[in-house]
Amino acid sequence: MIRKNTGRRVLTAYSLVALAYLMLPIAVVVLFSFNDPAGRFNYTWQGFTLDHWTNPFGVPGLRDAIVVSLEIAALASLVATVLGTLIAMALVRYRFRARGATNLLIFLPMTTPEVVLGASLLTLFLNLGVSTGFWTIFIAHVMFDISFVVVTVKARIVGFDRHLEEAAMDLGATPFTTFRKVTLPLIAPGIVAGTLIAFALSVDDFVITNFNAGATVTFPLYVWGAARVGVPPEVNVIGTTIFAVALAAMLLNVLRQKGAAR
Amino acid sequence: MGFLHRHRGFVPYLLLGPGLGFLALFFVVPTYYLANTSLQEGSAEVGYVFTWAWDNYGDAIATYDEHLIRSLLYAGVATVVALAVSYPLAYWIAFHGGRWKSVLLLIVIAPFFVTYLIRTLAWQSILADDSVVVEVLRAIGVLGDGERLLATSTAVVAGITYNFLPFMALPLYASLEQIDGRLIEAAEDLYASRFQAFLRVTLPLSLPGVFAGTLLTFIPAAGDFVNAELLGTPREAMIGNVIQSKFLVITDYGQAAALSFVLMAAILVLVALYSRTLGTERLTG
Amino acid sequence: MTRPLTRRDLLERAALGGAALTLPGFLAACGGDGIEAEGTTEATTTAVARELAETLRFSNWPLYIDIDEETKKRPTLDQFTEQTGVEVQYIEDVNDNDEWFGKNRAALSQGQGIDRDLTVLTDWMAGRMVRLGYTQKLDRSAIPNASNLVEALASPGFDPNRDYSMPWQSGMTGIGYDPRRTGGPVTSLSQLLDDPKLKGKVTFLTEMPDTMGLMLQLDGSDPVKVDTAAFDKAIDRLQAAVDSGQIRQFTGNDYSGLLARGDVWACVAWSGDMVQLQLDNPQLEFVIPDEGGMIWTDNMLIPTGGDVFTASTFMNFVYDPKIAAQIAAYVNYISPVEGAKEEAEKLDPELAANQLIFPDEDTLTKVKIFDAEAADDTELKEKFQAVVGA
Repeated sequence: MIRKNTGRRVLTAYSLVALAYLMLPIAVVVLFSFNDPAGRFNYTWQGFTLDHWTNPFGVPGLRDAIVVSLEIAALASLVATVLGTLIAMALVRYRFRARGATNLLIFLPMTTPEVVLGASLLTLFLNLGVSTGFWTIFIAHVMFDISFVVVTVKARIVGFDRHLEEAAMDLGATPFTTFRKVTLPLIAPGIVAGTLIAFALSVDDFVITNFNAGATVTFPLYVWGAARVGVPPEVNVIGTTIFAVALAAMLLNVLRQKGAAR
Repeated sequence: MGFLHRHRGFVPYLLLGPGLGFLALFFVVPTYYLANTSLQEGSAEVGYVFTWAWDNYGDAIATYDEHLIRSLLYAGVATVVALAVSYPLAYWIAFHGGRWKSVLLLIVIAPFFVTYLIRTLAWQSILADDSVVVEVLRAIGVLGDGERLLATSTAVVAGITYNFLPFMALPLYASLEQIDGRLIEAAEDLYASRFQAFLRVTLPLSLPGVFAGTLLTFIPAAGDFVNAELLGTPREAMIGNVIQSKFLVITDYGQAAALSFVLMAAILVLVALYSRTLGTERLTG
Repeated sequence: MTRPLTRRDLLERAALGGAALTLPGFLAACGGDGIEAEGTTEATTTAVARELAETLRFSNWPLYIDIDEETKKRPTLDQFTEQTGVEVQYIEDVNDNDEWFGKNRAALSQGQGIDRDLTVLTDWMAGRMVRLGYTQKLDRSAIPNASNLVEALASPGFDPNRDYSMPWQSGMTGIGYDPRRTGGPVTSLSQLLDDPKLKGKVTFLTEMPDTMGLMLQLDGSDPVKVDTAAFDKAIDRLQAAVDSGQIRQFTGNDYSGLLARGDVWACVAWSGDMVQLQLDNPQLEFVIPDEGGMIWTDNMLIPTGGDVFTASTFMNFVYDPKIAAQIAAYVNYISPVEGAKEEAEKLDPELAANQLIFPDEDTLTKVKIFDAEAADDTELKEKFQAVVGA
């Protein structure tokens, strides 16, 4: 019993350290959002100020860039999740002739360097006469997100116990109902993991987006551009805020469930 | 069982249709252009001509073999370290996360909200020559007196590991979360120690997650260029840097494309070997 | 007159000439070459449409135009709109010359427009654009203020008559260093390459014209017309410094963070960055090396498909010394407009005295422009890239 607890404590301690490690650069970002540099560079600590927090969208273009990034990420991760989950189901559950080729097709986008992938996609858009902007970014993001979703969801479906489905159907459920009420909830964590990865990839992408953005500016594009002349602390504020808002939403949800459970 | 058997031939194609169709148009077609480009010669100045330039491939492998191997090596080390760091974390979230799972998962992808460049620049300041981290490492003797962390291969690999950690942690979590706690209990009831239970029950059941995580980490890491650019010296340049350079600076699209295919081929070979070793049937169903 | 004179026409006239609405001006607008209405049968041989577009689509580098800290708007652009009625769609999507070219080349090479009227690119890239025919000739008659262009930039190698480009801002490349760490002044590039005290604390730029420009001058060779043998020699010397670990890294402008934090003690740096760094780290110094530094210019170009008249009108607008001073005061790079310094003195005397923003003749004699053609020579670029590592 004691051994079980120490083991668990070590695991907890370790995990907290790992989480701290993950958050370390974020801590630096948050810290420097309070910095008060006289110049445009935000490298050395000059003094504490709340100025950037009181007016985070003071820098022109920043707000639009964030909004665009979040919109695209939300849409792209959703679409990619749907498409990817369907593919994952097919790959794990069925034997069909194009299986090997499908697996290959799923891996290839991940292996292709972004700079050539972005440029080739742009060439396609040019040849199709599609003008670059919001929707071409969306398409590009869905394209590279699908693979990540497939691989993630597959891992979950593989371990899924089919007998549960069979049992449901033996009890008279239609295949669709079975999927909806049995399969889907049980593979949900895998789908959520896939969506999170897709969202993260999309909100953070620079190279492919750069090629296919036209006049649209996403947050990473804005940042990479700003970095040349000095990233304003407002960027730090925005990054921190997005994370904090998402975190708060999650926390509220958790606390709400706790209340409901009572 | 009946439905699955009766419509076996038809259903998979329905499921695959939308996704693969999308990829066919927006990935396969561009890749065809890329393949075509890889056999072209030229530059932005003189234009590009299709000349069956297989030399592009030959030159690519001959001149940049070092970069290629280095990239695969760095990506490999980063993947192993990421696995070592993520597995306990994913395990903890899956088994002991309870209500807070969603919050913890969010923290795992938090770094992505501040963009790749900002994260890497933050590491530049965290690993600075006279930072706390480096001071501590010097004090405990890991780093020699004149040694530094930045602009070394260690910094580059550490940067890659950090940036791709969520890709390892999330699939691991998804796979671990599924494991029925009662299986572990049963093992222990049968006199297995905790460690044995882990080794014989949990680990094998989590292998699909390990497989997925290593792929999602290794594959994009091999093509990375940002970490080498900001945290490394010319000696740490990876194949991603070469491709960036060939494409953007030299504008030799033929070489850039050829190098890309060489990288893709190398990765696929390694992935194939890897899945063969782990046993694909069990992993992909 | 082909049609009634509108208020807009008068405003255009005012903008073009920078002249007040004088009687002669009014009469001129009524007579002779008035603004051609579209589809008129009285087409003259000057086929260039001289009607302002509704919007000017302007691609520029980030933070390269003045922003009012309070209102967060861009005064110069707003003033332009007020004066001409033309809205400005301002897009800060030029982060890097090569990147910009990489994503726009496909369309340009097919003769297509890129949905921009104006873009700003550095000398050697501007040269490439002109050589490849991806730009259009300016409407010089719409830019009388072009006479305000400083003599030194009037006739660059890549565009001897300034037919295709007008400078936007210039910058200098020299040595940035921290005297507290280097233990004294750094005056020559050779110190960066040879001083053992600086080992591992030195960075150079990934931009070939900047790094090699300084290297060539160190050897006594002129970067204005690059000699291949001298280039090779300089490359070898650079490679040696890399191999020995003397040079820590090749950087973009992330050297600024390294310099500020003391990871780097001396580096090849850009004047504009140093101005910003010095605000927070006043101990930092910027010098033009004894053997010579570099000066580069970002130029306004009209890409294929852009509206020539509107873009040219804008160029004229920013060559008004008052406007130029306004821009330089915020951007803190070197203005190419004669008279901007005097105007800037009225706004901020300290700024006008800053050698990095308004360098005097003395400073300007020490800096050279890099051979634009050599900057784009594939062989030379490959040799340099090999040293940089990729």
